[in-house]
Amino acid sequence: MTSKQPPRIATWMLKHFGSGPNNDAILGDLAEQYLQKDSAMWYWRQAMKAIPVSFFKEIRGHKRIAARALLTGWVMWILGGISIFPLVFFGTNVGFDFEPRHPIGTAWSFMWMPVLGPASFHRPFSFVFAVALPLIVGAMCGWLVARWQICAQRHPPAIRISQVHRDQQTGVVLLFAGSILLMDLLLFGPFILTVGPLVANLFFGPLAANVAASVLGILLGGGLLRDNSRTVSN
Amino acid sequence: MRKGAYLGNFDLMLLLALLRLGEDAYGVTIAQELEEQTGREVVVASVYATLERLQERGLVTSSLGDSTPERGGRAKRYFHITTAGIREVRDARRSLMNLWKGLPELKGEKA
Repeated sequence: MTSKQPPRIATWMLKHFGSGPNNDAILGDLAEQYLQKDSAMWYWRQAMKAIPVSFFKEIRGHKRIAARALLTGWVMWILGGISIFPLVFFGTNVGFDFEPRHPIGTAWSFMWMPVLGPASFHRPFSFVFAVALPLIVGAMCGWLVARWQICAQRHPPAIRISQVHRDQQTGVVLLFAGSILLMDLLLFGPFILTVGPLVANLFFGPLAANVAASVLGILLGGGLLRDNSRTVSN
Repeated sequence: MRKGAYLGNFDLMLLLALLRLGEDAYGVTIAQELEEQTGREVVVASVYATLERLQERGLVTSSLGDSTPERGGRAKRYFHITTAGIREVRDARRSLMNLWKGLPELKGEKA
């Protein structure tokens, strides 16, 4: 037997971000083939392709579950935001601007409230808010998305909660984290156009930290960064 | 006339690889067989994604095998072609042969 180990970071990434019931078998196959090929480049290529391939396979194969995960995540994100943010900033003039005629402005004032709101605070404090709040809300939402889903029932008409299958947890958490990241990126263009590049530049650091904290929170809450090896179901 | 989705190129290659490998068809051997026969690198995850889809169509079944130390203690997943899968391969072969017949030469090669 040889002690040759495949690249650790690539293995870690595939182990935590690979979706579907066959992720363990894929990891095993790559480890076995790595002994013959002895090429770190080959292993990285296989592992980095396996993450999107397995993700899109899972999402395409379970469209309804994916849609419910997005719905659940966003409902919880908005509920979390409107309940936690005002509580933290209670007694201050920090809040989000609800402007029906400017939905994009409303969206970024809500999404980036922890950054834009305490901008007048001292720098270290504003950074703490920019990171801590989205991390907490993200972790809550990630935890919920990985476990429960809101679904509508037709007969009899009702809203009920169903459990997410273990094999689908990684895919739905990644999908929700990706949707938050995409929303942040899409909002950044109109933000620059509205406030101007000079002002936008001042917020770039805290905003980047805010977005990173949101995604990290979701992945943490969703259990994707936990070191538990998933078993393959027969 | 038969109904249902056509087999894709990769679907057909995978089913043929399963037929060639018999009882020893799992991720590594399937990828190696395809690489040897086609001369192209195969993404192991694509093999699984396609086989899962074929399994949902009832053309393939799978079972868990043994785990070995060189696999980091992870079990192999063996794939087997079903009777419906064999029928699909035969139909695809017949269709391709019919389409192939009577074709003129392709770039200097006999069709």
